[in-house]
Amino acid sequence: MSMLSSLLGNAVLSGAVLALAGQGELLAERVGVLNLGVEGLLALGGVTAIATVAAGHDPLLGLLAAVGVGAAVGCLFAAATVLARASQVLCGIALTTGGLGLAATLGRPYAGQPAAATFQPIDIPLLDRLPVLGPALFHQSAPVYVAFLVLPLALQLLLFHTRHGLVLRAIGENPAACDAAGIPVVALRFAYVALGAAIAAAAGADLTLAFVPSWSDGVTAGRGWIAVALVIFAGYRPWRIAVGAFLFGLVNALGYLAQARDWGVAPAFLSMLPYLATILFMVLPALSARSRPATTAPAALGLPYYRDQR
Amino acid sequence: MLVAQGPGDREDMVSLGRRTLLAAAALPVLPRRVLAAAAFPAVAERDAVIAFGHIGPISDGGWTATHHAAVLAAKAAFPAAKFLEVESIPVSADATRTFRQFIENGANMVFATSEYGDLLSGVADDAPEVAFLECNGHRTADNESWYYVQHWMVSYVLGVASARMSRSGRLGFVGSFPVAAVYGCANAFLLGARSVAPAATCQVILINSWFDPQAASQAASALIQNGVDMIYTNLDDASVLQVAERAGIKCATWSTDMRRSGSNAYVSSLLLDWSPFVVGQVSRRLAGGWSAGPGTLLPVGHGVDRDRWGRTVPPDVGAMADAVRTRIIGGWNPFAGEIRDASGRIRVARGQSMDDAACDAWSWPVAGLTGLPA
Repeated sequence: MSMLSSLLGNAVLSGAVLALAGQGELLAERVGVLNLGVEGLLALGGVTAIATVAAGHDPLLGLLAAVGVGAAVGCLFAAATVLARASQVLCGIALTTGGLGLAATLGRPYAGQPAAATFQPIDIPLLDRLPVLGPALFHQSAPVYVAFLVLPLALQLLLFHTRHGLVLRAIGENPAACDAAGIPVVALRFAYVALGAAIAAAAGADLTLAFVPSWSDGVTAGRGWIAVALVIFAGYRPWRIAVGAFLFGLVNALGYLAQARDWGVAPAFLSMLPYLATILFMVLPALSARSRPATTAPAALGLPYYRDQR
Repeated sequence: MLVAQGPGDREDMVSLGRRTLLAAAALPVLPRRVLAAAAFPAVAERDAVIAFGHIGPISDGGWTATHHAAVLAAKAAFPAAKFLEVESIPVSADATRTFRQFIENGANMVFATSEYGDLLSGVADDAPEVAFLECNGHRTADNESWYYVQHWMVSYVLGVASARMSRSGRLGFVGSFPVAAVYGCANAFLLGARSVAPAATCQVILINSWFDPQAASQAASALIQNGVDMIYTNLDDASVLQVAERAGIKCATWSTDMRRSGSNAYVSSLLLDWSPFVVGQVSRRLAGGWSAGPGTLLPVGHGVDRDRWGRTVPPDVGAMADAVRTRIIGGWNPFAGEIRDASGRIRVARGQSMDDAACDAWSWPVAGLTGLPA
């Protein structure tokens, strides 16, 4: 396998976690709820998946268990932020710290051990024979295809090509108007926040069953926060999240390749690259935001909806 | 302050802490060695508290698992004594807090099973009645010493076998920080390899942690992308071996037999066994007469050795490396001049050789090694 091909392959593998988590966050933010608990959801999903495959030896089972836990935790988060209308920022941070702590406790017996079962690469016929791109993009595990192809396509169709998607986007922009039009704002917000959390937990399962593949305390390494930033960088568009996740994966993989090729950059600086890229990617859209209003945040993002105050 | 105010397990330990604190406050100019006795008094087994602080989780299947095995051996030898064990202590002020907590809980003896340096010695200075042992440490005091293994000797043996297992002669190494343990390990590995294949090179990647499977596996992938076909690692877990297995290259690891995680890639491992040393030290502390003394380096065959060769290692390769191992056990020093560093400068002249102290404090990369600061 050529160096370029395996670099791209690694970027895709590393970016898939961010792509999944980002798409989950996108759903919550499109209906107006800012979920800062992605990091905690990643950790909970990751540890659930590892514990499940240790018992059941089936990666799909691990992924489903992670989705289940993510949905349950997402319901709790939605109950606090959508029903009880508590501060979304504070609840999100609580979810992150609580999720990380709980995952570390639950994961103690599994820390450092190889995952009992992992996702194996699936070849896409014909495409996998393309030079360079074939082995990099079309010899990947199932969650990678979902993260980069299936989910962005599904969300793009849902959000921008269906009436239901229009309703969802409208809730994020102006919940009071939607309420007046007879749309169940609270129910839909609740459902999509929970769904988004389930997808974020699936990203955790992808991390520990396909990318690393093992559990350790701190394995998420800030990826949840990068995913939150990624949604903003991508202007709240599913396809751009997929592209952005690939770019982040590339920066991440390049950091290690720079050490392997001895480019003479300090290792500490190279480990910092993904986080540095996050800051850069946050500044870039901010500079162009004035000229492109279509990429700004949903107007009601982060605001609890009070029917009696409309 | 924490020592004096915290709720101790026993009343006398609280007052002891307070006394220590007062002594330290009243005599700030007196050197501490005046306060401490040379040999430690005996402790009854049922009153003894022995504490262990680990860098990683005991489930890592590697470094910390070997130290946990030593704790279990000591528990079996002294069933009435109380053992404290804390996992995953970060190299930060949290370490100091954890070690102070050990003292507060009445520890008579504290083992730090990885290098914590000043984070540990500050606590040791404030508790002269407690014995401290630091694995891979470098400091000795009246109540503190260190222990480690001649890992460079085994790394040299693994290097000999690895050079034969590599087709390209391009070796890789995944390490943690630019510290002596990593320099010594990677240098000895390449010197061993070059004794068989003089053109061999070794590329090092550092991941800024002893235990970080996600960074370790990415580092291994990057080395493989760059054409490396044999990786040696002294990290705590098996993630590098897993990556090597998937990529179809070879790998040698540290600490334990990890062949379960990649039986085709597995060449061998640098096996660690701390149990006899730890049990011996605890025994001396309980019987009385423990003194810190100089540091201890466990030799090849007594605490450190190579593992049984992997199933893809041809018998003649294993035999060749074992012959080198036998010579080392017989007293041969492979680190004889001339040895040049990465910039081509002669560091060990012909006729001279590096002793254990020099190997344990290695701070420059040998010729052919890239990725470690000169």
